[in-house]
Amino acid sequence: MKRRRRDRLGDILSYAFMALMFVFFSWPLIWLLSMALRTRKEVFLGVARLIPKSPTLDNFVAVLTSSQFLVYLVNALKLSCLSAVGCLIVAAPAAYAFSRFDFKGKGLWMLGILAFQMISPLVIMVPLYRYMSRLGLIDGHFGTTMVYIALGVPVVTWLLKGYMDGIPRSLDEAALIDGCSRLSVFVRIILPLSTPGVASAFIITVIAGWSQFLVPFLLITKDSLVPIGVGIFQYAGTQNASTIQILAAACLISVVPAIVAFLALQRLILSAMTAGAVKG
Amino acid sequence: MKTTLFTALAAATALGCLPAIAEDLITSDRVGPSDAPNKMVFRMTGDGPSSTDPTWAAGYTKLYTDFINNHPGWQLELQMMTGDISQEQARMLEQAKAGHAPDCAAVDSFVLPLFKAAGVLKSLSPYFSKEEIAELFPFVRDGVTGKDGQIYAWWWSTDLRVLYRNTEIVPDAPETWADAKAAALASVKAGMEGMLFNGSRYEGTTFDWLGNFWGQGGKLVDEAGKPVFADAANRDKFVKAVDYYRDLVESGAAPKRVATIGNYDDFNAAATAGSTALFVGGNWQYRQLQNAMEPEEFAKWSFSMLPGITADQRSTGTGGWTVAAFSSDPKKVEMCAALTREVYMGPANALQEQLPTRADLYDKYDVFKSEANQTFAKALKVGEARPGVLVYPEISNQIQIMMGKVLTGAESTEAAVDEAFKASLDAYARL
Amino acid sequence: MSASAARRKPSILGASGRQNRLPSPYPWLMPVILVMGLFYLYPVIDVFRYAFTDLTLLGGEGHYTLSTFGNVLRRPELAQILWVTFVFTAGSVIGQQVIGLAIALVVVRAEKRRLFGTTILRTTALVAWVVPGIAGGIIWKMLFNEAPFGGLNSLLRLMGMAPVQWLSDPDIAMWSVVLSNIWRGTAFSMVVMYAALKAIDPTLYEAAEMDGATARQKLAFVTLPQLRPAILVNMILITIQTLNTFDAIIALSGGGPGRATEVLSLYTFNVVFRNYDLAAGSVLSILMLAISLGLALVYAAFLPKEDRS
Repeated sequence: MKRRRRDRLGDILSYAFMALMFVFFSWPLIWLLSMALRTRKEVFLGVARLIPKSPTLDNFVAVLTSSQFLVYLVNALKLSCLSAVGCLIVAAPAAYAFSRFDFKGKGLWMLGILAFQMISPLVIMVPLYRYMSRLGLIDGHFGTTMVYIALGVPVVTWLLKGYMDGIPRSLDEAALIDGCSRLSVFVRIILPLSTPGVASAFIITVIAGWSQFLVPFLLITKDSLVPIGVGIFQYAGTQNASTIQILAAACLISVVPAIVAFLALQRLILSAMTAGAVKG
Repeated sequence: MKTTLFTALAAATALGCLPAIAEDLITSDRVGPSDAPNKMVFRMTGDGPSSTDPTWAAGYTKLYTDFINNHPGWQLELQMMTGDISQEQARMLEQAKAGHAPDCAAVDSFVLPLFKAAGVLKSLSPYFSKEEIAELFPFVRDGVTGKDGQIYAWWWSTDLRVLYRNTEIVPDAPETWADAKAAALASVKAGMEGMLFNGSRYEGTTFDWLGNFWGQGGKLVDEAGKPVFADAANRDKFVKAVDYYRDLVESGAAPKRVATIGNYDDFNAAATAGSTALFVGGNWQYRQLQNAMEPEEFAKWSFSMLPGITADQRSTGTGGWTVAAFSSDPKKVEMCAALTREVYMGPANALQEQLPTRADLYDKYDVFKSEANQTFAKALKVGEARPGVLVYPEISNQIQIMMGKVLTGAESTEAAVDEAFKASLDAYARL
Repeated sequence: MSASAARRKPSILGASGRQNRLPSPYPWLMPVILVMGLFYLYPVIDVFRYAFTDLTLLGGEGHYTLSTFGNVLRRPELAQILWVTFVFTAGSVIGQQVIGLAIALVVVRAEKRRLFGTTILRTTALVAWVVPGIAGGIIWKMLFNEAPFGGLNSLLRLMGMAPVQWLSDPDIAMWSVVLSNIWRGTAFSMVVMYAALKAIDPTLYEAAEMDGATARQKLAFVTLPQLRPAILVNMILITIQTLNTFDAIIALSGGGPGRATEVLSLYTFNVVFRNYDLAAGSVLSILMLAISLGLALVYAAFLPKEDRS
């Protein structure tokens, strides 16, 4: 009886907290939507017109017809997904080694990898550009993807190592005694068990890639190859062009594909996470 | 792997089918037939077919179509430029040095000295007649001319700063700083925010304000390009001009939020929303206000030269855009010059009502005979361009920082000015 | 299940695994070494080289010199920049970690109790996270706009409250910037914390429940200790991210008013792109690296023993 009452109190507190957080995270987006639906005349009416009197989709039409927004979105999706997959392929074996092997200088190696992350891409930009142009990797998605991967690897390695640490070593050992090779232990046992970690690492890299700005800004100049992070900046850029409501529509369009992907993927991610939890 | 597939699927569904791109003469990144043997890459601002103003977009589409029809066998690849000019110019400089610059590009007039100094631009002198060059306003001609006397860009449009006012609340044009303050205070009494101007970390903060300093005869840099704005001859003028803005905020004639404004659109917004009756803006905003307001509202708005410390000590900052060639292929340089001549030098000015840089063009196009444009043209006579020196961006940065400290009352004017001066001198020593 | 859990502790240090094989880790590290080495290492080395020159962006070969280091580190504005960076980083990291953990805890609880609304909350936070930095700056600029029609002040006015000088008061501006960064970045911590919570062995809770532990005790004695490595790793990662953040600030406040919100990364940006001082920018980025490394070592000292090696 007492327990049930406490649970109910907990539920109420949970709801209150979730509501508060929801308001915090959604208010800017609601405001953005409200702006994007307004006509030029209503833009300056503030909160009083949160729901516009004559909502219009013209702003979205203007964004989508006057620029290559769809192309930017596809480019961003391609770059971020490819680099996320690449990141996992590169980082997972290293994470396994860091989690399972004891070797000299392990801590240094891990810190060294993380140190890459600590160097601001800002200053790397200039030498990076000079280097990539010498390699002939300017204005293509390959070079950009590889740099995204290099940028994402440290985080992914660290995260995956963390998850793999949580998988009991006894499982590896049993398999090794059964005559499995290290590689097959990694592929058959560790990887499937780290699905939750892999899933969250994947999301994290996709999103990091999605909002990349400096690297593609520097390495890509062809408009047909530019991803959304740069595209929206170019769109907002021209002195004569920007008007709040159209900019709002542009910002909103830049996140829509990600929202759709999330909603679609959420089930997948969730089931992966829970599956991992049960097994672990 | 499954997740990737899934993401790709989700994306495909989300985006639907991309519109099939038919072989149009103009797409968002190409002008001319895609199989044309000659190709010139042009990096541009919004002053082109992809302008967000439908009238301008249509006008440019026609200009570009005519242009490409005049030059069979050519296609243009269009690249868009971002708004952060300092970042953009640094990128273009790097690209030029690595041999990846566009063949032809729009260059903001105030960064032109950088490109000239780096030696990455090609001479355009062969493609413009002596008479045409002679018609350029002196500050424009000086701006595009290199040390060897050749011209390295064509500066096709210019702009300037004026004081906009709602004549219903501020009937008479303020001539002096005192007038401006009185008018702003009166507007506050009428329920307005007061006078608005750029005051945040933004190039416009420096540039819009500099007229107040220049009007008194102040100099930012000496002949050698060394910062002198707070030396014995200039410090007093500089401090006075800063205190003019400081006083506006402290007396309530300007709202505190000016320290956050870093965008001309904010003025359009406030004017349209009816929350201000006075602001320091650019000439191009006249047309924007017209687009944004009801005609009867717009009719109330007018503008005048920036006020001075006295009515005859006035000035204003002038800027504008140029087109410059980077290509080492002479045929492309020629094409770049042709594009400048046939699209930008004149026709684009008329289309966007962007002030031309040649005195004779004001008579050629009827749009510049309008009262508004005549006033702008008159104000141009006291216009001053930013000094074409390498240290200018850092001077501007320091003035922005100083303005923030002064407008928020964080520091005394003298201290903030001296700090900015010292930092500018240090930067000059390093360059 | 319980058997394997019981065997877990001794087997970590147990000799059996090591005796079997002592494999070389390098084949496993090869992909990382290759990718980083080919695509990132060289530019990084160049940054260190540049720090010992007087190179500018404007060309010229530059000369090797040690004076750039001294000149940069002696700049009078550096102390304030570092203080602003500290406030911004501490505020953002603590905010994101605490809120991210709280959301993860509540969401996990709510899912267990089958409460409504977890998906929508999680999705909203995630959406905030995918907003590209520049766009995030644009959005918050609209909200913080102090004009009468600004997104937050018009709301305050509607509720009859006094408007706030979100960005024009140097003391408030910092917290506005932190707020926008928490908004954008919290989802990362939420995802990491959520996955870590899900990975906690449920038998631990069963055991605690058998001992009659209250919810608060379970949090203090099971959840938080189990989360400790994840929290520390998360803190390291978001600290680095926050230190490198500049795109959202540049779009929101540009570092102003004055230098009130100019963090080290933005300062570096200004030095390189307004002052064209590549050498000084390189020195600053090495300073940033040193700060990150130092903080990472501090965090790492709190990691449980077996993770430290």
